[in-house]
Amino acid sequence: MSLPVRDEPPPFLGAWRRLYAAVLLYLAALILLLYWFAKAFEG
Amino acid sequence: MRPLDWAVLAASLAGIVIYGLYKGRGSGTVREYLLAGKTMPWYAMALSIMATQASAITFISTTGQAYVDGMRFVQFYLGLPPAMVILSATAAPIFHRANVYTAYEYLELRFDAKTRALVSLIFLIQRGLGVGLALYAPAVVLTVMLGWPDRLTILLMGGLVILYTVLGGIKAVTWTDVQQMLIIFAGLLAALAAALWLLPQGVTPLDALRLAGAAGKLNAVDLSLDPRNRYTLWSGLVGGMFLALSYFGTDQSQVQRYLTGRSIGQSRLSLLFNAVAKVPMQFLVLLIGALVFVFFVFEKPPVLFHPTELARLRQADARWPALEARFEEAFRERRQAAWALIEAHRNGEQGGAAAQAYRAAEQRLQAVRREAAGGVNDANYIFLSFVTRYLPAGLVGLILAAVFAAAMSTISAEINSLATVTVIDLYRRHVRPQAGDRECLRASRLATAFWGCYAVIFAQYGRNLGSLIEAVNMVGSLFYGPMLGVFALAFWFARVRGGAAFTAVLAGEAAVLWAHFFSGISFLWYNVLGCLVTVGTGLAVARALEEPRRVQKL
Repeated sequence: MSLPVRDEPPPFLGAWRRLYAAVLLYLAALILLLYWFAKAFEG
Repeated sequence: MRPLDWAVLAASLAGIVIYGLYKGRGSGTVREYLLAGKTMPWYAMALSIMATQASAITFISTTGQAYVDGMRFVQFYLGLPPAMVILSATAAPIFHRANVYTAYEYLELRFDAKTRALVSLIFLIQRGLGVGLALYAPAVVLTVMLGWPDRLTILLMGGLVILYTVLGGIKAVTWTDVQQMLIIFAGLLAALAAALWLLPQGVTPLDALRLAGAAGKLNAVDLSLDPRNRYTLWSGLVGGMFLALSYFGTDQSQVQRYLTGRSIGQSRLSLLFNAVAKVPMQFLVLLIGALVFVFFVFEKPPVLFHPTELARLRQADARWPALEARFEEAFRERRQAAWALIEAHRNGEQGGAAAQAYRAAEQRLQAVRREAAGGVNDANYIFLSFVTRYLPAGLVGLILAAVFAAAMSTISAEINSLATVTVIDLYRRHVRPQAGDRECLRASRLATAFWGCYAVIFAQYGRNLGSLIEAVNMVGSLFYGPMLGVFALAFWFARVRGGAAFTAVLAGEAAVLWAHFFSGISFLWYNVLGCLVTVGTGLAVARALEEPRRVQKL
């Protein structure tokens, strides 16, 4: 059922877990940016 | 449509078909035809995933939604990045190692044949209804806006998609998705540039953002805890994450995109690219809608953007001349208040009284619009009305090409995945288990042609379905929760066996149907409910009826 399939480390940050953490940090930054954007032009 | 627009549109469509046929050549085996021989690089899969999700109606109506309701819809996508991380860590390696053609094939490896058949049938019903709508909805909008016969639009779009999808299989679908996504990006950037360029002299982009913000159109984050509020940060993060997990993790039209990767890492990267790029892209689409709103602060909009409804109301409603006069007056007041607000900011004031006056003028204008509309929703017609009436020759053709590209990328992926499930999960599994590769390849091409023709026929009769269209639109959210639940049981709960999983899907589906018909909760929560009930039932039944067993880790 399970086949040997090629897996490799990500092209940057060395490990998939670190890349996942970076994506989640990016999301947090994005939410903060969106919040700032909404507030800055609220008028 | 001017000659240059026709030339741009025709060149774009011809380019898509020729490129699709070129890239799809040599698909001589089922593995080549349905999985591209597992040779796809991450960027092709990434853009294909993105193009499949971006349907034409999303493209047209999201901009209109920002015009009417502001940018809060962007929160709907905030659950997508964590969902992509989870799928990259679980679904991508599990499906790759199981060496399956479809996500549902994995369910038989993990549970049993009846669970696989049940979930495959749910997918065929749900996606089968969706593919007709994906073709019908943009055709209706293009018909109303451009006066094209809707049957011709449906036949043109459907016919071109069927041609390259039948002949080239998933290679043609994926590579045309890449090309279509590039056309969509070009269309979006052109629309953004045009919306900024068409602002009146003396209004800077910063002024435009202030006007949009003061009118409540840049409300990108809402921290409200009110469950009746459909788009908040919380419903986006939780409800949006469950929806994204269901769509990208259990819907074959998406799973098949990343099953074509040449390695697990390439598939993971394609998902993570979407995690990073999707929210900014939706932000851009909504920002265009907000800027179109600002454009119409200075340029008088029609009372209603739906031309057919506008003509009907003009004829039928005796109050119409008075309503139009009130609308005209409210528009002038708002424009005056907008200039006053710009002036106040230039003088170093923070808005204050000028902002309040502008907001009050905006509310008066919207009140007249609502009264005139009498329940008609014209959000889908706002963006194309702006494009066709104000954009220069060439750009109109480019943006219409982007709308066609968005529709075609979704439809091609959907008929390709419907054909895959029909052949792999039903035909080869139950009808002709002894079928060889040649027979399955022929069956795959026939099934693709069948689902393509089905979509065209469904769309041709779409106008007679009336309110059923709305029901069809809800179908996805009625099935996704239990589908996600059964995959969660398969991935993470080794003690759950086939009987428990099958019962759990039925229980989850019953819970979602109950919520739909007897509760008032927003459809975004159906996925959470369906998933939790399916997982809970699966665990309870497994504990009550079955002996735990060790399951070979996939």
